[in-house]
Amino acid sequence: MKLQLKSLLKPGRRSRPTHHSPLITRHFPFRSLLYKGWLLGLLAIMLAGGVAAVAVFSQGLVVTNLTDLVPWGLWISIDLSAIALSAGAFLLSAAVYLLRIKPLQPVARTAVFIGLIGYSMAVMTLLLDIGRPDRFWHALVYWNPHSPLWEVTICVTLYFVVLLLEVAAIFGQAEWMQRRWPRLARRLESTHHFAPILAVVGLGLSMMHQSSLGATYGVLKARPVWYRPNLAVLFIVSAMAAGPAMTLLASQVAARLTSRAIVRQELLDKVARFIGWTLLAYLYLRFWDGLSNSYTYEPARSEGWGLLTQGPLSYSFWLGEIVLGTVVPAVILLNGRLRRQPRLNLLALFLIVAGVAAYRWNTNLVGQLVVYNYWPHEIVPLYTSYVPSLIEVLSGAGVIAYGLLAFTLGVRYLNVVNHSREVERFSTIVLLQA
Amino acid sequence: MKKIGRRQFLKLAVSAGATAAVGLRFQRKRRLTAPVQESSPHRWAMVIDQARCVGCGHCTLACQAHNDAPPEITWNRVVEVGEVGGRNVFLPIPCMHCGDAPCADICPVGATYQRPDGIVMMDYDRCIGCRYCEMACPYGARWFNWQTFDGENPAVPDWGQPEVERRPRGVVEKCSFCFQRIDRGLAQGLTPGVDRAATPACVNACPVGARLFGDLNDPESAVSRALAQHPSFRLREELGTEPRVYYLPTRRQGQEA
Repeated sequence: MKLQLKSLLKPGRRSRPTHHSPLITRHFPFRSLLYKGWLLGLLAIMLAGGVAAVAVFSQGLVVTNLTDLVPWGLWISIDLSAIALSAGAFLLSAAVYLLRIKPLQPVARTAVFIGLIGYSMAVMTLLLDIGRPDRFWHALVYWNPHSPLWEVTICVTLYFVVLLLEVAAIFGQAEWMQRRWPRLARRLESTHHFAPILAVVGLGLSMMHQSSLGATYGVLKARPVWYRPNLAVLFIVSAMAAGPAMTLLASQVAARLTSRAIVRQELLDKVARFIGWTLLAYLYLRFWDGLSNSYTYEPARSEGWGLLTQGPLSYSFWLGEIVLGTVVPAVILLNGRLRRQPRLNLLALFLIVAGVAAYRWNTNLVGQLVVYNYWPHEIVPLYTSYVPSLIEVLSGAGVIAYGLLAFTLGVRYLNVVNHSREVERFSTIVLLQA
Repeated sequence: MKKIGRRQFLKLAVSAGATAAVGLRFQRKRRLTAPVQESSPHRWAMVIDQARCVGCGHCTLACQAHNDAPPEITWNRVVEVGEVGGRNVFLPIPCMHCGDAPCADICPVGATYQRPDGIVMMDYDRCIGCRYCEMACPYGARWFNWQTFDGENPAVPDWGQPEVERRPRGVVEKCSFCFQRIDRGLAQGLTPGVDRAATPACVNACPVGARLFGDLNDPESAVSRALAQHPSFRLREELGTEPRVYYLPTRRQGQEA
C-alpha cells in the first residue's frame, strides 16, 4: 500500500513523453485498496448529499441560506461551472468533425463523456434549486422566448439529447456490452455514424447557451455590475478554455492512476496549446471589460467592482480568477518547456478548472451582494452576505461526487480515456461529401 | 491552407443563421410608441404621499390579511428613509407594476406577465420557483415562499379577510394591486379608487389618507388629479421601467399642498 501511494504521488520517469514511448501507462491496479477507498469515499459523500437532498425536497428551500436578496447561491455556481467544464465536448467534437483534426477523435470521446456527466450534474443542481422541481418541464411547454433562461433551458435540453446520442456509441463500443447484448451494442454504436451531424448541432447549441448563460446575468438592468454585453462573451471564452482543460486534466490524472486509461501526450499537447491561447484571449477581453467597468463611478456597479477587487471576493477574484486561474496557466501552457513538465502541466490544468469555478462563483454573487437602494436623490448602496448552509454544501458535494464516480466508472468499464484506439473512419463525412 | 468547400460553407452558414435567428427572438417586436397596451380602457396607478405617511404599517398588515401572506412576506413594505424638517420620512414599496416590467421579460415560463390594464400578474400554477425574477426586479418587490405557510395568519381577522388562495411553497409572489378587488368591483359597476370595495386593501387601510388609487386614463380620477397638481417622482426612473406607483415628495411644514 505504501509503495502504491508513493508511486501515485510521485510522477515517475515514465510519464514523461518521449518519442520512443508515446503511450503513458502507469500500473496501478484497479482493485487496489486505494481504488476501493476512492469509490467508498465518493459513495459516502453521495449518500450524505442524498440525505441533504431529501431535506431540501421535504422541507423546502428554507433549509438553505438563500434569501430574497441572494436567491442564487452555491448550487447555481456548481451548475454554471459544470456546464463550462463540459465545453470540451462541443469544442473537440467540432475540431474532429468540422476542422477534420481526426487524430483528436479519442480526446473528443473523453470530452463527450465528461460533457454528459457535467450536464447531468447541472440538471441535478437545478432540480435542487428550483422551488417546484415537479414543474421542471414547464419551460418546455410554456414558452417565453424572450427570456435568456428559457433559451438556456431549451438549448441544454436539446444538447443533453445530443450528448446522450454521442455517448450511446461509447456504450456500444464497450466490450462487455458487445459480449452480453451484441445487438443492442451494434444499435448503440451505430449512432456513431451521426457524429459529424451531432457535432454541428452540438456546436450551434453550445455556442448559444454557453454565451447566454452569461447573458442571463448580463441582461438584468436592475444589477448594474452585471448589466453589460461582455458577460456573454466572457462566459463562452472562459468555457472554451476550461472545458478542454477539464478533459485533459481528467484524462491525464486517470492515465497516471490506472493502466486502463491510455493517453498520447502529443495529442493532448496540441489541445493544451489551444487552451493557452484561449486564456490569453480571455485575459485580453477581461482587461478591457474590467477597465470600462471601473473607469468612472457608477452607483452599484462601482460598489460591485469594489467587492471583487478589494472586498470579500477579492481573494477568489485576484488569486482564483486572474493570477492563478488565468495568468499562471497561460504562461505554463504557452511555454513548451514548462508545458511538457507533467507536474506543471497538471497544475496548470487544475488551476484553470478551479479558476473558472471561481469566476462563476464571483460573477453570480457580486451582483446580488450589492443591494442597490432607491431613496430618491440619494445613492445608498447596502451590502448583504451569503454563506451556503451545510445542507447546500452537502448536496452540492454529493452532485460533484456523482460526477467523479461516473467518470471513474467510465474509465473502468467504458474505456473513455483510450488514445490507443484506432481512429474510426468517417463514413458519414464521406457520405456528406459524395 | 485549405479552401472552404461549398458544404462547409453551407454548414457554417446554417449554424450562423440558427444562432442569429435565436438572437433575434430576444429582440422585442414591441412598440416605438407609448408603453401602454390600449386593449384595456384602464391604466391603474397608485399615488403615495410621503408628506402624509407616518410609517404606521397598517397598509402592510391589511395587505397580508387580504392576500393571505405569511408574516415574513411583505408585499407592501414600509421603509424609513430619513428625516425632513424634524419629521421621519417613510417609503412604502409595493410592486411598481412597471409599464415595462423587467420581471415579465425574463421569466422563463411566462409565469409573470402584464395585464392590458397594466397590472403585473403572477400565475402561481405556472411558476417553477427559479427566482430569476427576484434578481431582475429593481425594487425588491418579489418574495419567494421558502417554506409552506400552513399556520394561522396573525393579520386575520383584525386586518381583513383573505380574498385569494394561499400560495404553495416554492413559488415567487408579489403585490397584485389587489386585482381581485378591482375585478370584482368593476363587475359590480364600482369604481376602483372611489368605492372602497373595489380599492386595494392598503389604500383603504391607510389612516392618514397617504395612498390614492385610480385610473390614469381617467383625467378626473384621484391619481390623475394628484399628479396634475403636485410634483411627483417614481423610483429609479432612470431605468425606464415606467413604474405605476408615483410618490409625492415630503414637503417642509407650511408648504402643505
